[in-house]
Amino acid sequence: MNPRIARRLTRLYPRAWRQRYGEEFEALLEAGPSDLRTLANSIFSAVHEHISPSQGGNMDPNPSSFRALMRRPSAWLPLSMSLSALTMVVVSLAIGLAQGGKVTRDPDEGAIAHIWQLLMTVQMPIVLFFAIKWLRRAPSQTLRVLGLQAGAWLASCAPIYLLHL
Amino acid sequence: MRSTRNVVNGARNGDGDEPAHYSDPPLLVLASLAGGPKHGHAMTEDIAGMCGTRLGPGTLYGAIARLEQLAWIEPLPAEQRRRPYRITPAGLRVLRARLATLQQFAQAGLGRLEPL
Repeated sequence: MNPRIARRLTRLYPRAWRQRYGEEFEALLEAGPSDLRTLANSIFSAVHEHISPSQGGNMDPNPSSFRALMRRPSAWLPLSMSLSALTMVVVSLAIGLAQGGKVTRDPDEGAIAHIWQLLMTVQMPIVLFFAIKWLRRAPSQTLRVLGLQAGAWLASCAPIYLLHL
Repeated sequence: MRSTRNVVNGARNGDGDEPAHYSDPPLLVLASLAGGPKHGHAMTEDIAGMCGTRLGPGTLYGAIARLEQLAWIEPLPAEQRRRPYRITPAGLRVLRARLATLQQFAQAGLGRLEPL
């Protein structure tokens, strides 16, 4: 196979996988044919590796570690949703304070309130999925992640309830 | 570990003219490495010679990564850009157990075919 095509195919894989297997995989591709079957097989396997990382070799010696769990989308997505909601509230409050000098409750919930509600509710099934998937496999690490998620959720709710927005 | 997907392929039509190829990538890799350490290309060729199944590069390295994670195979120092692998004692035990099960299954299946 053309080395350039082999390099492009290897680049489809996740970085951690490439660091461990990239060079030898590229050498294997170069030694083989560049037929449609090889291309499809490499692309399919790269997609599979993104969806379900093999964590082979020295990529991550412990796939259930806190650090590894935090890399799961179902762990960081709810956190980032809560933090985005909190940022929205804080920015909205800051703008309100700068303009009017005091915090007032808008009787007609605006777009920001709706986005906030959406961010806070959509993450619930994701958290549930994460808990169901990982609580049995790695209880203590999962509880730590769930604690962080709960903390971020409460932090985002706090200004709404404390300031009666 | 992916082990039962496409267990048999190659029989494109149902008339049985074409021999079916066994395809359980991790087991094939273990069986290949049971014959001595090999790098990816050598494994592909060895497996093709052993059972007629030519593993794609992605499938091969998917199996290698999972087997390495399970500590059933281990890498050896790289030779230029190629890295050979060898089967571990745990891998040998697993291979032996899996092949014994397959042998039992094959014997039972062939026994049922005899009277037909």
